[in-house]
Amino acid sequence: MTTSAMVLAVHDQVLASGGSSGDDGGFIGFIFLLSGFAFYALMYFRYRNADKRHRHESETEATLLNMKKGDTFVRSKTGMSNSRMSGANSHEVRGARRKFF
Amino acid sequence: MENPDPTSRAPEQQPLSSPQDQAPPAAPEPVAATNPVSDSWARGADSSEAPTPEPDDDATRVIQTDEGATDGLAKCSRCGATDISLNVATGNLRCNFCRFEWSAESANDAFDLDGDIGKLLGVTVGSGSSDIVPSTDEVMTFKCSACGAEVLIDTASSTQARCHWCRNTLSMNQQVPNGAVPDMILPFKVPKETAIASINKFVQKRRFFAHPLFRAEFTAENVMGVYLPYMVVDINAHARLSGEGEHQTRSYTVKVGDSQQTRYDADLYNVVRDFDVHVSDLTVESSSDRLEQITSQNSNNIINTIMPFDVENAVRYDSNYMKGFTSERRDSNLDELSPIAFTQAEDITRNRVNSTLGFYDRGVRWTQQDVNVRGQRWVSAYLPVWLYSYQQHKSNGKTFLHYVAVNARTGETMGSVPIHQGKLLLVSGGVEVAGIIAAIVLTALGI
Ligand SMILES: [Zn+2]
Ligand SMILES: [Zn+2]
Repeated sequence: MTTSAMVLAVHDQVLASGGSSGDDGGFIGFIFLLSGFAFYALMYFRYRNADKRHRHESETEATLLNMKKGDTFVRSKTGMSNSRMSGANSHEVRGARRKFF
Repeated sequence: MENPDPTSRAPEQQPLSSPQDQAPPAAPEPVAATNPVSDSWARGADSSEAPTPEPDDDATRVIQTDEGATDGLAKCSRCGATDISLNVATGNLRCNFCRFEWSAESANDAFDLDGDIGKLLGVTVGSGSSDIVPSTDEVMTFKCSACGAEVLIDTASSTQARCHWCRNTLSMNQQVPNGAVPDMILPFKVPKETAIASINKFVQKRRFFAHPLFRAEFTAENVMGVYLPYMVVDINAHARLSGEGEHQTRSYTVKVGDSQQTRYDADLYNVVRDFDVHVSDLTVESSSDRLEQITSQNSNNIINTIMPFDVENAVRYDSNYMKGFTSERRDSNLDELSPIAFTQAEDITRNRVNSTLGFYDRGVRWTQQDVNVRGQRWVSAYLPVWLYSYQQHKSNGKTFLHYVAVNARTGETMGSVPIHQGKLLLVSGGVEVAGIIAAIVLTALGI
């Protein structure tokens, strides 16, 4: 189980690094230093597909009707070092059946 | 339990008692008038005709989906033969004696599932989705009306069986509260040969690190056609999401010590979205085994991944679609599946609302999500899967069941192939060494 846990950690890292918009310049160095682990993770998921699941959130038919929007300005924030809002959760998926452990 | 409509069931097709032991077909006896399973049938059968709400339930509306269905010999209307099966090429049922073809009625038409979801109020369930009564027998006994022998149908794997004596096929189409007969069925459409080719292709691409024993033993021809149990849910809800969103107004670099860093300015908004949502044909596994998708213990996630199915093309349940295939029985009820379905419906809702949040390029944080389900409709279905399974015996003595599954409607294929750990670790080690050397070289070159 420990290998799987490690693989998952690397897998998440690779996904996280690959997905971000590039302000981590150390990524290339990181991927070289962890290249063996990254390769293991890549192959593990290619063969076992343990990360796959039905994307119910996007693959299910749904319609929104009578949409009422409220957007009220609160305040301006300056000098933040994060490119993304902290705690953003509008893409969160809670109903996935697939779990690793 | 006797059906209120006497024409809907021929007397000789009455189910008998259901012995747990698989006794050999006894000499035909006259069927006793008392029926031990009648009490447990009552819930499902009572509400036929005009759907009468059950008094103890808060106005659950039942769509009677097995009205007119009969058990026993299902005969070809042209020649009377009982050797009937699905013709995968046409999607029709075919009499294998006279080649006559026909189809069961579309479930959408028969049960009016196509209507405006906005008009759904309260809870509506197909009669084949009713709660499972634990005392209901798994093995059902029927009397063959051709020769009088008793025929057992093991509902854990089929709703059909052949009479040992006269070789006629007996079908079970009336619903018993054991989860075996669903409201509708989606017939196989992808032929077996196509499924075998897909599975071969999938595995061929994953040969190098595959376990040697698997490579030696793999035979895609062992694939099985299985109807797996699902619930198909329509939901009419009102939702109100509120929270905060951020819109970036400026990004710039600042000097911190020796390095340049990026900084962001943004406007913060209160965001509210208030709307109606119609979710259509949300599909959830209804077998407790298949709902367990812990990938360190099983590969049920593989079967989950090949969804969705075109459930709108499902037809009224008819056991003849089952010949040559097996099935797994539903064992989960609405109260167990509702939380799963509602959580997934919320995921779907949040996903759709994102299309109204384009302005908030830094993201939205919902702090309050109120979803009021006004109406819900539950229909049980058998959906078709070509399933190749491989039992791996691991060195630690444990076993792991790997699947390669093909959606027998869309052809979508997914699988799990056992890995040769030693080989993969060795090659990964090599890659690691090469990577470290590359990192050293890059550092030396000052990149
Ligand atoms: Zn015929
Ligand atoms: Zn017979």
